[in-house]
Amino acid sequence: MTKFNVINTPIHNVDGIAKVTGRAVYTFDVNLPHMLHGKILRSPYPHAKILNIDTSQAEALTGVKAVVTGKDTLGVKQGIWRRYKELCDEEILARDKVCYIGEPVAAVAAVDEDTAEEALDLIEVEYEPLSAVFEPLEAIKEGAPLLHENAERNINVTRHIEWGDVDEAFKQADYVREDWFRCSSQAHVCMETHCAVADYIPEGKLTVWTSTQSHYYIKVLLSDVLGLKENDIRVISRYTGGGFGSKFELDSAQFCSSVLSMKLCKPVKIVLSREEEFMATKRRTPMFYYLRSGVKKDGTFLAKEARVFTEGGAYTAMGATALYLTGFFQSFPYVWPSYRYDGYRVYTNTAPTSAMRGFGAPQATFCAETQIDLIAEELGIDRIDIRRKNAMYADYEVPGQATIQSCGLSECLDRVEEWIKDRGKLPPHHGIGIAAYGFMSGGIFNWFNTPYAFSSAVIQVNVDGKVDLFIGSQDMGQGSNTTMSMICAEELGVRVEDIRLHMGDTDKCPVDLGAWGSRETLMQGNAVKMAAAEAKKQILKYAAAKMSPNIVYDLDIKDRWVHLLARPERGLSYFDVVKEAIRGKEGQPIVARGHYTPHRKGMISPAYSFGVQAVEASVDSDTGKVTLKNCVTAHDCGQVINPLGLQGQLEGAIAMAAGYGFIEDLPMDEGKILNPNLVDYKILRTTEMPETTVMGVTTYEPEGPFGAKEAGEGLTNPTAGALANAVFQATGTSIKELPITPEKILNALRERNKREKK
Amino acid sequence: MIRDFIYLKANTVEEALDLIDQHKEDYKVICGGQSLLILMRQGLVAPEHLIDIKSVEELNYIQFDEKEGLRIGATTTHRTVELSPLVLEKFPVLVHMEENLASIQTRNWGTIGGNLCHGDPAGDPGPVFMALNGAVKIASKQKTRTLTLDEFFIDYFETVLEEGEILLEVRLPPIPPRTAVVYEKFNIIKNDQGIISVAASITLNNDGLSCNDARIVIGAAAPAPIRAKETEKLLIGEKISKGLLEKAGEKASEEADPVADIHASEEYRRHLVGVLIKKMVEKAWEQAKAQVK
Repeated sequence: MTKFNVINTPIHNVDGIAKVTGRAVYTFDVNLPHMLHGKILRSPYPHAKILNIDTSQAEALTGVKAVVTGKDTLGVKQGIWRRYKELCDEEILARDKVCYIGEPVAAVAAVDEDTAEEALDLIEVEYEPLSAVFEPLEAIKEGAPLLHENAERNINVTRHIEWGDVDEAFKQADYVREDWFRCSSQAHVCMETHCAVADYIPEGKLTVWTSTQSHYYIKVLLSDVLGLKENDIRVISRYTGGGFGSKFELDSAQFCSSVLSMKLCKPVKIVLSREEEFMATKRRTPMFYYLRSGVKKDGTFLAKEARVFTEGGAYTAMGATALYLTGFFQSFPYVWPSYRYDGYRVYTNTAPTSAMRGFGAPQATFCAETQIDLIAEELGIDRIDIRRKNAMYADYEVPGQATIQSCGLSECLDRVEEWIKDRGKLPPHHGIGIAAYGFMSGGIFNWFNTPYAFSSAVIQVNVDGKVDLFIGSQDMGQGSNTTMSMICAEELGVRVEDIRLHMGDTDKCPVDLGAWGSRETLMQGNAVKMAAAEAKKQILKYAAAKMSPNIVYDLDIKDRWVHLLARPERGLSYFDVVKEAIRGKEGQPIVARGHYTPHRKGMISPAYSFGVQAVEASVDSDTGKVTLKNCVTAHDCGQVINPLGLQGQLEGAIAMAAGYGFIEDLPMDEGKILNPNLVDYKILRTTEMPETTVMGVTTYEPEGPFGAKEAGEGLTNPTAGALANAVFQATGTSIKELPITPEKILNALRERNKREKK
Repeated sequence: MIRDFIYLKANTVEEALDLIDQHKEDYKVICGGQSLLILMRQGLVAPEHLIDIKSVEELNYIQFDEKEGLRIGATTTHRTVELSPLVLEKFPVLVHMEENLASIQTRNWGTIGGNLCHGDPAGDPGPVFMALNGAVKIASKQKTRTLTLDEFFIDYFETVLEEGEILLEVRLPPIPPRTAVVYEKFNIIKNDQGIISVAASITLNNDGLSCNDARIVIGAAAPAPIRAKETEKLLIGEKISKGLLEKAGEKASEEADPVADIHASEEYRRHLVGVLIKKMVEKAWEQAKAQVK
């Protein structure tokens, strides 16, 4: 008998047919009777006082039903930092001043979008422009314009991580290397822009359909800013068209549509345009990184010092977590006996920077892995060997931070080394770059201050054996609905098609903190597994009574067959047992709950994924153009739940992370994003995708459901670094500034040629 | 968001010219809309009347005559050009150009006439038609006139088309003997607009060694596609050599007048002009030489 019936089998997304046939109702598709359409007026200034807002002309326009400004709100400074109020600094509808181009200042509800848009032009805002600052290294200087009164030198958050005796260790080092790196910004580019339909009724209840990564967060955050009780608000998010970190904070569509709906007692729909999406929905954090590493002649790592200045933009957003995680993952996935990290998040008059797939780790991995190749080159050590020598391993403790329970990094290195060897001699101007990485399986952080378990699940087994599974996790395209169905089916002993999923609705689903930080498989997965195990226990009680086996025998259910573990041929139909069981329970269906909250698992995460990626690229020496050829990834995500899902996550991650590496950027002029559209903002498409291969390295993670760990965000971490190293291998020049554009490569080649001539 | 407009559809050239005449105070002609709709969505263009000539079937044709050459009607889609066996046989460079022009969806909707009239200096057909010594036929209610492509483009998104005029067809004379025409653009994303593009037509003398005529066109390097006339002069009468190609590249870089934008600096664009000129001239030269043998 195979170990698993469902786990590790390729299963198509359970909501795939609904999506491809157009039945899936996204927020964009929600249209209610008497619904109005809202639009948001945004600041044209990067920094300005709001002296007055005159809405009278807009209100007088036929078809306009309401105009609201910050004065019509409670003026709550909100944020996910509900335990750390000083970090809640964003009002969404600015009252006194604006701090970035695109900051909302007013919102209109009208009978249609055209009228609402026309009304925006009639709102007169009197601004007093203030001097502004756009670069973190400028903003931190004495005398720079200040964004927020309480933030001296515009320093928003600092983070310090340290272990070992760093200064002493540097003295022991045979070789010390220092480098500066610059990591660019990136837009999430979700296919579905931020949108919401808010419907407030006079009975005092608010329902909000929205595109989000966490309906629970949005419900609570709305209650904070609207003055309603949490449970007078219902948030519905059946389908979310992409999130990538951009959709777990409260956004302007959700807030403005709610404020307007409460004023009018009518449904109000707001869908952000692609331009608004680029300008004002947060983005990946640009970072200036200083790295100093000390190693022994043989490549043994001794000490690392990292300092980072991040471009915060106008508000904290989730940037404080990105600042911590970039510092933590800067040491990954290696054993550094001593390490010191200082991070400074600096306010600037630019669109706020926040969470994005990888959450600070792709930046860290790019810098770290580029530097390791430079160190290996200097010391004449093989780049795989230097990584293997210093690789993290199972049961390693990151001092004061985390314990690594499972780690397949060495095996990943072996697999990638084999692939490189098999690839043989490369054509001219080709290079293979590698990068090793790790990531968390859900955060332990509770800045949100939830009193609930981090994840919960409820199962009801009905008389025909069909299972209702209620989960709070949010599928945003990553496939968590399928993952949860598979975990439930495996544990309960049924098939995936036996499960009817209930998700995306705070009125019906138990609390889960949402889809961020790669937490669903491990956390929601554990809760589902616990609920399924409890339901199974209830069913097996009745089976035991019926079968009256020897008391030493265990019963189990596999593929709808209730049987003796030791003698699988002896058993009963699952359907028959369930029917009897319900009869025996006074006609009550079998109901079970499960939950998960990490305990005693360090500061960061209960479990860590690991991997090594090799990127083969060619570089045209005439133009500097990079072409991706191959991308091979050995990934340790513990027990693979759904191989199809893993492949999908990997391909999506490569498209996003390679884009970050050499194409995507958000250039600005005086705080204004210059490419807020999909003509000028380039993303990788299928034609630019290299051949991708995933080599599963299976470990068993004791904390994960069936031994599983994350397989979503971590895959975004290595690619920019591996690509940089491929360019290094192909051309002999190392680019320390993202994105690695043809022009930068060409300039670097020229510099090198000049140096060589001298 | 696209502002409201009045949609008017023409089925014949006459209808189109009448509609334009009736609404000349505020109109825009649409013929596929692959470029126009983007501008309208961004609010950069907000016409009161949108006159759709895509259904004007009398302008949907590709015809070839040994003496006159190729005629492509303005409403012919990119995809039709791309898949035409006739074009493949007589003007293979056009098929190559179309295959790399935007996405299939865009090529299915976008038209030759619409593309040219949009006047984007980074457009693909313009430089190729110029290298092929093409001409355009233009009509208004009052008159019909024919101009060379060299005269057609004026500035960023501006052509010689006057109020009331529409483009009827493109005419490409037969390719002379011992001539090859090639085109390439540099971009990061396949099928994206070129950061720089170069079309080159090289005609060799009977000896198959020296250059009899050259037409070199650079796209995206100035407010409109430009003929690199000094570069052409430098090539005519010469035999190919590494040195000549180098000189041609350098000369063309000087002739180009690119500006910096978020996609490339001025310096990098000039460099790309040099790289592409060398590559295209050599390629056209070799293909022309192969015809002599």
